[in-house]
Amino acid sequence: MEFIGRSIKKGEGHEGIGEAMVGEERISMIPTAPEVYWSALVNGQNIECHIESNAILLDVIRDEVGALGVKRGCDMGTCGCCTVLIDGEPKLSCLTLAGEVRAKEITTVEGLADGHHLHPIQDMFAKHGGSQCGFCTPGFLLVSSALLEKNNSPTDAEIKGAIEGNLCRCTGYQPIVDSIQAAAELMRTDAESVDSTTAKADPHPGFSGENEGGHTA
Amino acid sequence: MRTPPFNLHFPTTVEEAIDISQKLASEGRSSDWIAGGTDLLPNYKWHLNPKGDVISLSSVAGLGEVSMHRIGAMARLSSLVANASDALVHTDATISPVHPIIAKAAGKVASILIRNNATLGGNICLDTRCYWFNQSEDWRSSIDWCHKCDCGTGADCRVIPNQNELCVATYQADIAPTLMVLGASIHLAGPQGQRSMLLSEFFQLDGMTRNVLQQGELVTHVSLPKDVEQWQGDYLKLSVRESWDFPEVGIAAAWKINPAGELIDLRVASTALESIPKLHSEAVAKVMQQGWQGQKSILEVAELVRQSIKPVKNTYLAPAYRRKMAKVLTKRILSQLE
Amino acid sequence: MAEDDEQMKGYRQQPGKLPFRKPGSGGSKQFSDLRDLSYIPQSEGGDRPQPRGLNRHDHLLTSSSIGRRTPLIDSRWKVTGQAHYGDDVRLRGELIGKILRSPHHYAKIRSIDTSAAEALSGVECVLTGKNHTNAFGVLPVTKDEHALAVEKVRHVGDLVASVAAIDEATALQALQLIKVDYEILEPVHDMKKAIEDTENPIHDRGKYHIGEANIQKRVFQEFGNIAGVKDAAASSSVKWSFAGVNHGFTEPHAAVAHWDPSGRLTLYTPQQVPHYVHRSLADVLEIPMHQINVHRTFVGGGFGGKSDPFPHEMCAAIMARQTGKPVRITFDREEVFWTNRGRHPSKLEMVVHADASGRICGIETDALIDGGSFASFGHVTTYYNGVLHTAPYEIGSFHYTGARVWTNKPASGAMRGHGAVNSRCAVESAIDDVCEQLGVDPIAFRLANLLPPNSTTITGFRVTSIGMRECLERVREASGWDEKFRKMPLGRGIGIGCGFFISGSGLPIHWDPNKFPHATVHLKIDMDGGVTVHTGAADIGQGSDTVVGQSVAEVLGLPLEMIRVKSRDSDTSPVDLGSYSSRVTFMNANAAISAAMKIREELLAATADITGADPKRLIIGDRRIYDKKDPAVGVSYLEALHKAQEERGALVSSGAYRTPPMGSTHKGAAAGLAPAYSFSAYVAEVEVDAETGQTKVIEAWAAHDCGRALNPLAVEGQIIGSCHMGMGQVLSEEMVYGRTGNLQNPNFLEYKIPSIHEMPKVTPIIVESNDPEGPFGAKEAGEGPLLPILPAVVNAVYDAIGIRVDELPITPDRMYKRIEKKVRKLDVDSPLDLPNPTLQTSQLHDDLLIRAAAHAERDLARKLDVNRAPYHNGAIFGLKPEIAPEEQMDGWVISVLPSDEYIASPRPAGSAWKHVERRHREVE
Repeated sequence: MEFIGRSIKKGEGHEGIGEAMVGEERISMIPTAPEVYWSALVNGQNIECHIESNAILLDVIRDEVGALGVKRGCDMGTCGCCTVLIDGEPKLSCLTLAGEVRAKEITTVEGLADGHHLHPIQDMFAKHGGSQCGFCTPGFLLVSSALLEKNNSPTDAEIKGAIEGNLCRCTGYQPIVDSIQAAAELMRTDAESVDSTTAKADPHPGFSGENEGGHTA
Repeated sequence: MRTPPFNLHFPTTVEEAIDISQKLASEGRSSDWIAGGTDLLPNYKWHLNPKGDVISLSSVAGLGEVSMHRIGAMARLSSLVANASDALVHTDATISPVHPIIAKAAGKVASILIRNNATLGGNICLDTRCYWFNQSEDWRSSIDWCHKCDCGTGADCRVIPNQNELCVATYQADIAPTLMVLGASIHLAGPQGQRSMLLSEFFQLDGMTRNVLQQGELVTHVSLPKDVEQWQGDYLKLSVRESWDFPEVGIAAAWKINPAGELIDLRVASTALESIPKLHSEAVAKVMQQGWQGQKSILEVAELVRQSIKPVKNTYLAPAYRRKMAKVLTKRILSQLE
Repeated sequence: MAEDDEQMKGYRQQPGKLPFRKPGSGGSKQFSDLRDLSYIPQSEGGDRPQPRGLNRHDHLLTSSSIGRRTPLIDSRWKVTGQAHYGDDVRLRGELIGKILRSPHHYAKIRSIDTSAAEALSGVECVLTGKNHTNAFGVLPVTKDEHALAVEKVRHVGDLVASVAAIDEATALQALQLIKVDYEILEPVHDMKKAIEDTENPIHDRGKYHIGEANIQKRVFQEFGNIAGVKDAAASSSVKWSFAGVNHGFTEPHAAVAHWDPSGRLTLYTPQQVPHYVHRSLADVLEIPMHQINVHRTFVGGGFGGKSDPFPHEMCAAIMARQTGKPVRITFDREEVFWTNRGRHPSKLEMVVHADASGRICGIETDALIDGGSFASFGHVTTYYNGVLHTAPYEIGSFHYTGARVWTNKPASGAMRGHGAVNSRCAVESAIDDVCEQLGVDPIAFRLANLLPPNSTTITGFRVTSIGMRECLERVREASGWDEKFRKMPLGRGIGIGCGFFISGSGLPIHWDPNKFPHATVHLKIDMDGGVTVHTGAADIGQGSDTVVGQSVAEVLGLPLEMIRVKSRDSDTSPVDLGSYSSRVTFMNANAAISAAMKIREELLAATADITGADPKRLIIGDRRIYDKKDPAVGVSYLEALHKAQEERGALVSSGAYRTPPMGSTHKGAAAGLAPAYSFSAYVAEVEVDAETGQTKVIEAWAAHDCGRALNPLAVEGQIIGSCHMGMGQVLSEEMVYGRTGNLQNPNFLEYKIPSIHEMPKVTPIIVESNDPEGPFGAKEAGEGPLLPILPAVVNAVYDAIGIRVDELPITPDRMYKRIEKKVRKLDVDSPLDLPNPTLQTSQLHDDLLIRAAAHAERDLARKLDVNRAPYHNGAIFGLKPEIAPEEQMDGWVISVLPSDEYIASPRPAGSAWKHVERRHREVE
């Protein structure tokens, strides 16, 4: 088929993009697919843009939507770093055509927290060492939040089944399972996470009058 | 990684899908179907035989049915798995609308994230695999390509050198052998209308031809015989890891036992050993003719299965080993029939 | 006393009354917490027991942070998706850089025609190696890398040219248009072949070139009573083959380069060692270092794989300079494998001898390691394969030959457990074999052969704290060893493995300028009271920002939330050598403590000034400094701070750490030398399916002596994560090179990192030996924990099925081959009929138990007695411990050059010594 040269998207002054002239000879076209209109509800926000018709969701989310929390680890479906929720179901964005999820609801890691109140799963990954280097963390958070949405008292085996598509090289997975269990418990009790913007410690505290063991004033 | 550019089409009916394909073909444009995309997109990212047009089946109505006797081509694997993404474990076969052997095999495919996208049709039609082929374009250029994706060079096969007639890439999908042992039929729709056949007749022995699908033809569903509930069996998969990996050996077996507790019918099929999955009818018939003699018969069947397959060195584990393991797995499945 | 009280009266605070609000104050927790005495050592009036004696930092403990399970201070960035890694740095007007890579294993570049690529609209820069010929490399002695290939490509995937264009599609298209004319050269893939002379060695080392071969580095070391091995009562000799493995970090390499309007370069890169990149950029770009700011982004895992300066970082910088626009280069997963720097594929011959008294009278190791096509850290790796298995046992003699060769593969380099992993696996497996021959329990054997604390190893390493004994005892207990070992049915087994590792390198890679500290930490505190910590330590997920912050918080008695660690930019961070050789906690926390101590002194002085109290009686508590006998006499942290700031403003301090002088003087003595060593012992339980050869680790018990767990949460994370990574190497991970020499599996589907389903339950056990020089007693916990899992699994496999593994990974097909062989050898019908190994304990076993008990007492005494005499390796063989063995025994060898006799019939790596360096040939 004939591909049209893409329109200028970045920078300026690239007249005749897609063509190269060597002497008088036109030697090449940059093959790109035609652009199509795309929209989706990403983290509650309606996103509209133009994408190449063959665009992969991961590329659209990172480069067009700007949700850089969605990570590219292997780009081939074997690490789970690029996981997003599509209508609540975890999917590999690296193996999803953007065109197939038009008008759907997409949740990325950026959409998990409620303002400065972290989702319990975020809070517990931080607290229980579920995240070391953090690169696989967004993917794990999304698959486990989807699990807990449906089942807030999963067994370890159920957790393992839910996160089997995600690769973590740092933690050995065990702290991740612990984190998910802790989050499940939080969700069962409807405990609310602390707003991180609340006032931190006073550098000028008073003396409460209490005294440590045995010493007399 | 960027796929080569392609036009993506979204038909809403099977007829429209076929029409689009036909129209493209009439313009000299070739196209691929895309179902779940978990096989096609990695291959496209590696520039493995990409086409200029891709027809998405995701919006086609009526291909997603899941029931005991009929499963649509677009049924997601996660929906076939009893303990799908909701992490609810149903071990009771009566809850599952899918035969437990199929559900088990579906549950063994790759990872839960893959299964959330992957479809039954896609899994059945999985492209054959080879470690000289499933590589990036740069990588393949470093070995001067191979027969399966020769980029116009007429390159030889890298597994069986000095020939470019036969492709021995390996069929590594999990579900087909389970459908075969349950006597499933596959239903196709194409420009010439609909046709169906036993799944065992669907595959064609060549890593490139793969199956009988013609230009413009697609899989609509598989159907299972009326008596399928009376068949029991199992699927065993050998792979290095329990997640992500394709089978290095996969054996399915199903059998029917009469009320007297006697074995009256048996089917064994294998996958991941050759370019197509294989129903071992002859081997089983040969042993069954002599009357079932428990362990002795089991060993005979297992040995005959081993003899009838010839894996080549193009997957992760050594072919000689995979061949022997076909015997071990067959023996293990059938041990229920001692 | 009465006088003191009188003086302090004016500063006595009314209990429960808030002090007058000062600028910068306000916030939560308005009263100071009591010190938690369970975190304060008994010697300082607290309740924390000190079974391993005192520590020089005891008096600094305030119970604020050290020893508490502390979430990483950057974890909220990570869980919200706001942690920005390499590819997440997006600058306005950026260009996308892509790299053209070699399709050949080995070829000369005759010419490169870039005209068509340059003419392509949207392409802003096409770069080749010819104008950028300055070499760089992580080690100053082996700078052999370039931004792009200069005259030769050395492996498939080697960098040939790079392009910067307005988008990825254009850049990729431009790569297609670059025409390269290659002259193909004969590649070498086999490491044994690489030892031979050849027409075209992969590199030319000039006068230092060894023969005309592909030998990058060779090492010969002989120590001890070499002749003693003839008395061996048991010997184990195994020829091992280890596949190369890759770090498998989840974040692919990425770099963004930007030259700002002032003409300075900022390079954003996920790096473990920003400082070496800094130096290399200066070399390549020919600009002074002060013109460069290296910004370390969040690092999505490193494990050694992001600790070389990389060509793509140079390319990004050069292209950004030429185009005047930011350039971003991000790798595909496959490119990560081309960059590699993973663990060396190795052929190892390991012989371990034990005498009739159950002492290790000799270890002979020959390690031929495949360095791929560049030097990287290889110089060091070649030493480490030898010297890092000379402890924790006392040994009678050590004979090591090592050679690292170039082959046309992606470069090997440093990976978690650098150089120590494979030989550790081999030596621990051999010890298991020797124990079997002697009829002794392998844990009992180890317990009776350990070096004591404060001793010297056979190669002259100074060992300070050693918690090896406790590690062994605790895993034996936790795993139920005595009920399981040699007692389980066929297919089920249990095994033990030990290890030790450096806690920082005694000699830094770059030792210029002279006496430069290994680590420096700066503190700045202004009137708001928050502490800004500047450190160059690279947090790669291990939690170094956290541990440095914790150290400062602890000394100053502040909650961690008042500490902000700035470690990203070389412009503001003091020079740090980077996150490698497990040096960060030891060196940076020490530097941080010393910086905080200076501030502490000033705060104490200011408090004394205000209160008139005796400074000796003042202690730091939670945000308050007060008289330890009378807490009502005291001031808030902010009051003291403001007092100390009078006339000068912000308090600043700098603390540095340098290793003490130590070690021997022989050539190579510095390799493996460290200010402290960590120790670990693991037990693994496995299941081997005799019919399929599949091995599964069921459970692991992992005891690691990290001196003191500053952050137990992080230490446990390191232990469990190490088990995962090590288990991958044992069971499934392998860089597979096929018959054409191509890497067959440069992707995560075929490079098989264990999934959650393969991961056993791991019980981490933290052992705290209280290192005298470590920060609060701490040592490393990042690499040592990886070592023992390999031999533990390998030995468990033997227990399960009686087969000594000699090749890693133990893929099911490899295992099955050995099972088949054994079935044939023993002439049994089926693998299920194979016999199980059993243990008939000998008299020696009982003797060893007695010796171990005596040694346990010896060790505790040596730990607690500050006036202890020296202890040199060799005492167990009857030598005087206080005197160096070479000074008291004639036959005690220290040699780093092979004899003619050895060269006449060398082992494989040893045969590297058959060649003569060019400079010596020229002399002839």
